[in-house]
Amino acid sequence: MTGTWSRLLRSTPFRLALTFGFLFMLAFLLSGAIVYQMMSADLAERLDESIKETYSVVAATYASNDLEDLVATIESHAKLSPKKEQLFSLTDPAGNHLAGNFTAAGLPDGFSAFDAVLPGVPPDTEYRAFSGSVGGNNLTVAFSLSETEELETVAMMSFGWATLIITGLAVAGGALLASRVQRRLDGIAATMVDVSHGRLDTRIPLTGTGDDIDIVSSQVNAALDRLSGLVDGMKQVSANIAHDLKTPLNRLQMILEGAADKAALDQDVSDDLADARAEGHQINETFDALLRIAQIEAGARKARFTDLDLGEVLEIIAEIYTDVAEDDGKSLVSTQLRETADPIHGDRELLTQMFANLVENALRHCPPGTTIRLSVTRQGERVLASVADNGPGIPPDEREQVFQRLYRLDHSRSTPGNGLGLSLVRAIADLHGASIALDDCQPGLAVVVSFPLVRSAAS
Amino acid sequence: MRLLLVEDDQKTADYIVRGLTEAGHVCDLLRNGHDALFAATSGSYDVIVADRMIPGLDGLSMVKAARAAGVRTPAIFLTSIGGIDDRVEGLEAGGDDYLVKPFAFSELLARINALGRRPAAQEQKTMLRVADLEMDLIMRRVTRQGQSIDLQPREFSLLEVLMRGEGRVITRTMLLERVWDFHFDPKTSVVETHISRLRAKVDKPFETQLIHTIRNTGYSLHVPLAS
Repeated sequence: MTGTWSRLLRSTPFRLALTFGFLFMLAFLLSGAIVYQMMSADLAERLDESIKETYSVVAATYASNDLEDLVATIESHAKLSPKKEQLFSLTDPAGNHLAGNFTAAGLPDGFSAFDAVLPGVPPDTEYRAFSGSVGGNNLTVAFSLSETEELETVAMMSFGWATLIITGLAVAGGALLASRVQRRLDGIAATMVDVSHGRLDTRIPLTGTGDDIDIVSSQVNAALDRLSGLVDGMKQVSANIAHDLKTPLNRLQMILEGAADKAALDQDVSDDLADARAEGHQINETFDALLRIAQIEAGARKARFTDLDLGEVLEIIAEIYTDVAEDDGKSLVSTQLRETADPIHGDRELLTQMFANLVENALRHCPPGTTIRLSVTRQGERVLASVADNGPGIPPDEREQVFQRLYRLDHSRSTPGNGLGLSLVRAIADLHGASIALDDCQPGLAVVVSFPLVRSAAS
Repeated sequence: MRLLLVEDDQKTADYIVRGLTEAGHVCDLLRNGHDALFAATSGSYDVIVADRMIPGLDGLSMVKAARAAGVRTPAIFLTSIGGIDDRVEGLEAGGDDYLVKPFAFSELLARINALGRRPAAQEQKTMLRVADLEMDLIMRRVTRQGQSIDLQPREFSLLEVLMRGEGRVITRTMLLERVWDFHFDPKTSVVETHISRLRAKVDKPFETQLIHTIRNTGYSLHVPLAS
């Protein structure tokens, strides 16, 4: 229980609720004090007015040298106040009682206050009095303050209760809200603990209300999706690297052992050495390709970007590979390479390698007789470069996987290659902000790389 | 040639020194950048071969400093960093060539030879001539035995590179870099295809073959040695 409380006290929503409750209480007390002050001032003023009024009414009954009417009026007024809320006193200049329900002694003219000690009145009852001279005698009218004090007490009490209730509501509401938010935060924390323990498939539960916590949670979930995708990819790649490098390393070792045996028998080992060199070369190439991809993905190369014409890059590729394709029993044709002179922002060396890779992929994975087409077209704010062939193509369900590092289609496992070509292509495309689409040419494969125009890239 | 090798890895250094000595070069080995800079400024070397990662002054700064001191000796970088920006960095620092480790010794030797015999101070040649093969660099025309040979622009550059390196081995990688500006290893027979096209035009119709294949390494253009 103490744990729950200490956690509740530490929770942000509860603290917020407490803070707001406290501020609210403070504001309420301040306004209460002001209202109380104004009210009591107003009440005192009203009391003074009614004392003065009563005094005037009583005094008016005195006609010159006729004390009878005044005495009668005072006596009748005094009778109306049996509990002595209102006191009347008429004394002669010597201080002798003439009329009224008390005797005022030593009160100055005008307003004054005194505590009366009278029979039938609670002790220390405060009175407010007005005294004056009427026909040479002293008339005093005094009203009890108890009524005013009662009103003020009622006002005080209601403010006090309101403050208590508000504070209670604020704390209770805060606790309620806090516990609800806390539960969801606990859910997030628990998920993150799971993730940090390596269970990357756990996700933060969403309430579906679309509130801020849900939004943050779904963003965290999306980040987790990407993270687990990357980790899966890394695991896959590590396994593939281990496998793909272990195989040639094993072969290398076998070749060397065979050569050593032969050498012991004084046989010629030059063929074995040539094989060993080829294997070593292959291993190095795979490593180089992996490093290159990693470096391109790290984006260091972007500093060397310039504006260039994609058609020009493809034209050089076409020039280089037309003869290579012909010798390989295939043909390479290019169309409209210089139709769009719209520049893109990029690295010529990397783009050359990218399209060389795509063309070489087509050359290596297509049977003789295949035609490979290169083209560049402008489409809206993008420049599309396409390398299309009419070869066997890639099955639709494998089109995304071919971009993974070291992935190889089953039927291409027998042809040389390290499964890194398309990963490199994708890395270069990503660096250029370009997207890659693999389309079905029925039959064949079209790789379409879509680059942003310089204008849109700059804006 | 007298070569300065700056390399701190003992095995690599032994391998290179042995190879270069066998090839008839004199090779001084230094292990750190400061010593190398001092030796390079003495100016008595034909080619400097520098690893980039060496103790003291790194290879890049060493060549930069040597260039600032007015040393014009051609320099070739050996780098195991394998970075895609290394070549540009190396060339910007004043290097003349670069080679990524691991490398074939024949590749290094070919590049050292190409650098060492580079004509001094950008001597402007307008005609290249090997036996009866002539190349007019201004008219961009090639003739053999007086017969005009029609070449594609890229074939012309290929032949130009081979002719400028007359008698020396030009490796596949050097051709890819110099003729096609390819700084990666293509998986198809790009070099072989274009060499065979060039041969068909330059060598086939004539009696003597000038373009020779050097197994596992590259090509060389020269008058056949009398055997």
